[in-house]
Amino acid sequence: MIEIFNVTVHIGSRKVLDSVSLRIDKGEFVYLVGKTGAGKTTLLRLIYMDLFPQRGNVIIDRFSSSTIRRRQIPYLRRKVGVVFQDFKLLTDRNVYDNVAFALQVVGEHRREIKSRVLSVLTRVGLHHKRYHMPQSLSGGEQQRVVIARALVNEPFILLADEPTGNLDPEASSDILELLEDINRSGTAILMATHNYQLIRKFPHRTLMLEEGRLQELPLEEA
Amino acid sequence: MRIIFIVREGLQGFKRAPLATTIAMVAIALALFLVGLFGLSVYNLTDLFQRFYQTVHLEVFIDPSLVEAQRSALQSRIRRIPAVERVWYVPPDKALQEFEEEFGEDLITVLKRNPLPPSFRVVLKKEFRDLPTVETIVKQLQSFPEVDEVVFQRELVRFFQKYFKLALAIALVLGTLVLLISILLVFNTIRLTIHGRRNLIEIMRLVGATNFFIKGPFMVEGIVQGMIGGAVACGWLWALVDLAQLFISETIGRPPHFYPLLIGFGIVMGFLGSWLSVNKYLKV
Repeated sequence: MIEIFNVTVHIGSRKVLDSVSLRIDKGEFVYLVGKTGAGKTTLLRLIYMDLFPQRGNVIIDRFSSSTIRRRQIPYLRRKVGVVFQDFKLLTDRNVYDNVAFALQVVGEHRREIKSRVLSVLTRVGLHHKRYHMPQSLSGGEQQRVVIARALVNEPFILLADEPTGNLDPEASSDILELLEDINRSGTAILMATHNYQLIRKFPHRTLMLEEGRLQELPLEEA
Repeated sequence: MRIIFIVREGLQGFKRAPLATTIAMVAIALALFLVGLFGLSVYNLTDLFQRFYQTVHLEVFIDPSLVEAQRSALQSRIRRIPAVERVWYVPPDKALQEFEEEFGEDLITVLKRNPLPPSFRVVLKKEFRDLPTVETIVKQLQSFPEVDEVVFQRELVRFFQKYFKLALAIALVLGTLVLLISILLVFNTIRLTIHGRRNLIEIMRLVGATNFFIKGPFMVEGIVQGMIGGAVACGWLWALVDLAQLFISETIGRPPHFYPLLIGFGIVMGFLGSWLSVNKYLKV
């Protein structure tokens, strides 16, 4: 569960978020919309605690932004999967190793890594391409690898920052179908996007950031 | 599993970024070569100075009329001076022989007699060989009634002392400079190789790797780079010392544990360079 209380964030002299409050329950699917620079990425960074608010409090699972210690942050991040528009894959290793990497760096055992990586690659439909290098995959496939990497630690929420930003409409729909499938199995999704077509096609709760303030949009308006 | 992963990932860095890691190793080798070259120069200069000082001694000319008992008594008194390391008697005929060997002149033929008085040679302990102390001891010896005169290579000592200190001061300044430049060169190169892989660090942070796990592979890589760079520098210096012994002087040497120390320094530089560079990317 995610709770954000009255959070204000300044970056430089600019107030990016202004008294924002938000609650996302277990297993929810939420869109976050707003113009470029409206603070969507800032809000996501607050959740994986890459950024701390000047005012207010962010509570993620059992961690609170006001009391968390630096060395606890990695443990929070294992419960929060993050997916970016620009993929951030390691081009010096294949699909399998890219996903396995997320488990290797948290010290998982080899046998456990193998079974979990193969299972998550099956889930995103890339089991057959596990020995391919990321550069040889299409944009949609690369994004699936990133999603697999974010999922392999079994997070309770997946944060997706414009995950379809670099994809064509068809690949975008495929990614959305995959995210809905993941959501149905209990993982909450918070997806920042400005692709309103996609929201209309796959309607869910939608929040809008505008001039630092957050407001809930009725389903039909999104 | 954790340690195996860290070591393997660290070693694979060489395969994944061969150019960057090679450049880092060459930088370390060059830096250590400079530092080592400098160390060798200072060591050999000091060694030369020490060896010169071994030859510095006092000549204490004594009253030729002393009988043997008086002479031994005087020798014992000189030996009891705390600054004295060794003292031995040089009879006139031995002094004459040395004179003739050194200057090639036959004094007896010219003068018809041996003009050289009996003397003691006095070698001072290492810590009493600076000029003011030597002067004090000379005065003390001259106060003995049986002593006629005390001579030593005053100008030579003064010259060496003055220029040795100057050389040491220059060496200190140059050495600090060489060291700083070397450290900067190495740190900067390592920083660049790590900057090239900031993506890797970012992903590790995102998926919840602890700082230990993020730093570990880079530390391993830094240590191995330092070790290899150090070994290469040692190879260069080894060859250089051999050539110098062949063409300049056989007395040119290396300080004890020179090569292990150099490799150790390389390891420390590689480790610290990686540590500081990775830390830069770990700040929230």
